[in-house]
Amino acid sequence: MSNGGGKTGRLLEQPSTQRRKVGGDDFAQAIAKVAVAQVCESEGFHAFQQSALEVLSDVSARYILNIGKSVHHSANLAGRAECNVFDVIQGLEDMGSLQGFTGASDIDHCLESSGVVREIVQFVNEAQPIPFAHPIPRFPIVKERVPTPSFLQRGEEPPEEHIPMWLPAFPVPETHSESPTRNGKGTEPHANKVEHERENGKGERPQLNLQQQMVSNISEKSTLVDPSDAKATRVAVEGNPFLAAPLKIGDKEVASVAPPAKLFNVIALDNPVVENFVEDKSISVLETFAPAIEAMKSTHYDSEEDRTKILLNEKPTVRFKIGMGNKFLGRSTDLSHKKDERQKTLSWFTMEDEKDDRKRRAEKILRESLENPDQLVQL
Amino acid sequence: MNHNPQSSEGRHDDDVALSDFLASLMDYTPTIPDELVEHYLAKSGFQCPDVRLTRLVAVATQKFVAEVAGNALQHCKARQATIPKDKRDKQQKDKRLVLTMEDLSKALREYGVNVKHQEYFADSPSAGMDPVTRDE
Repeated sequence: MSNGGGKTGRLLEQPSTQRRKVGGDDFAQAIAKVAVAQVCESEGFHAFQQSALEVLSDVSARYILNIGKSVHHSANLAGRAECNVFDVIQGLEDMGSLQGFTGASDIDHCLESSGVVREIVQFVNEAQPIPFAHPIPRFPIVKERVPTPSFLQRGEEPPEEHIPMWLPAFPVPETHSESPTRNGKGTEPHANKVEHERENGKGERPQLNLQQQMVSNISEKSTLVDPSDAKATRVAVEGNPFLAAPLKIGDKEVASVAPPAKLFNVIALDNPVVENFVEDKSISVLETFAPAIEAMKSTHYDSEEDRTKILLNEKPTVRFKIGMGNKFLGRSTDLSHKKDERQKTLSWFTMEDEKDDRKRRAEKILRESLENPDQLVQL
Repeated sequence: MNHNPQSSEGRHDDDVALSDFLASLMDYTPTIPDELVEHYLAKSGFQCPDVRLTRLVAVATQKFVAEVAGNALQHCKARQATIPKDKRDKQQKDKRLVLTMEDLSKALREYGVNVKHQEYFADSPSAGMDPVTRDE
């Protein structure tokens, strides 16, 4: 057989593991073997078969166990937990009943004058003591456990009233609550993921709100910003242009150009096609995308360095800037909530995560606005 | 010892003898170590702080082992004696007394322990036989 070697190897391994599991007191067995070997040597044997020695040591260990059981039983029968001499003698008589001993036939004999004990006394007197060959440590070794210190030992107050002082103290707060390395790479991936999700779900919204409030505070000094307004804008950001806060008269001129410029810069970088469209002079479109064009010009024609950088590693730069744009979205939405067209665009941007989608949409919007500039002007 | 016909006196003697014996166990070190006996006794539920009782069990166990070993030795000697004289000269060099399973199982049978030989398969009929018998 080709795989015979592997199989036999596994078969050879199995008994050893099983034996280790079953045994548990290999140490005691080894000691018993040595002791039995010494006794046999004193009897006149010169050598052993290994199996015979193992059998004899095992039998003698069982002999001790059986005596112990019997003695324990007779002590319990008398209503005692601790054994005394008479229990031991009774147990020895039980074990020796198979061979028989002097006086075994007398049922009422006194345990003190038991034949078993007499035989043992005789044995002890005849045999000279042979001490065990090796020094033995106390066994089994019970390892001392170190319990967690209680609140009392640590000198801490339990965090809650219902927790008694003697209970083990809680671990250091850093171990179970928020840790500074939570967002780092060191933590386990699953937990990290969960954290990220939670952040994306909840953490982003307040941030957005904060941004909106800040921006609206900056740009719309005259108009008051109440929570409901902020809420409305947030809804608008989330994609429904119809729920956006109503435009106020005279607000039209307020929209600042600078923040969207960055955003549109991104878009322009994203799709150079836009550039072509924008280059065709259409007033409304130009008006709408003026900052974008400006940004484009600045990035594309101003410095040699910028251009090479963009050409060399377009992808990473673009991706990075989109991330930035996303952050600016809230602000820009707020700033330009009188222009429906723009808002629609922006809300789309908020919704879309896919870069390609964004590109396509921007293109589409541009085309639409080019095709019917009247609508834009009306707005 | 005073052998008094009166039973009460006899019992008193036994009492003295037993306590003397137990006291002598304190000085006697059995070959089977106390730690081993205590370990197995504790396993069986035996509970006693008295070292003398542990020693008593140790001595009893030692006696048991010695008896079994003595029995096996007799079996071994008897087996060697059955070999014819001319063969015995050849075997003189390995006259060592070896505790074998064969003798041990015979000795243990008297104590109510049935030991069975492990099944044994040989690749040739002569394998495992004595070198003397193989020569024949």
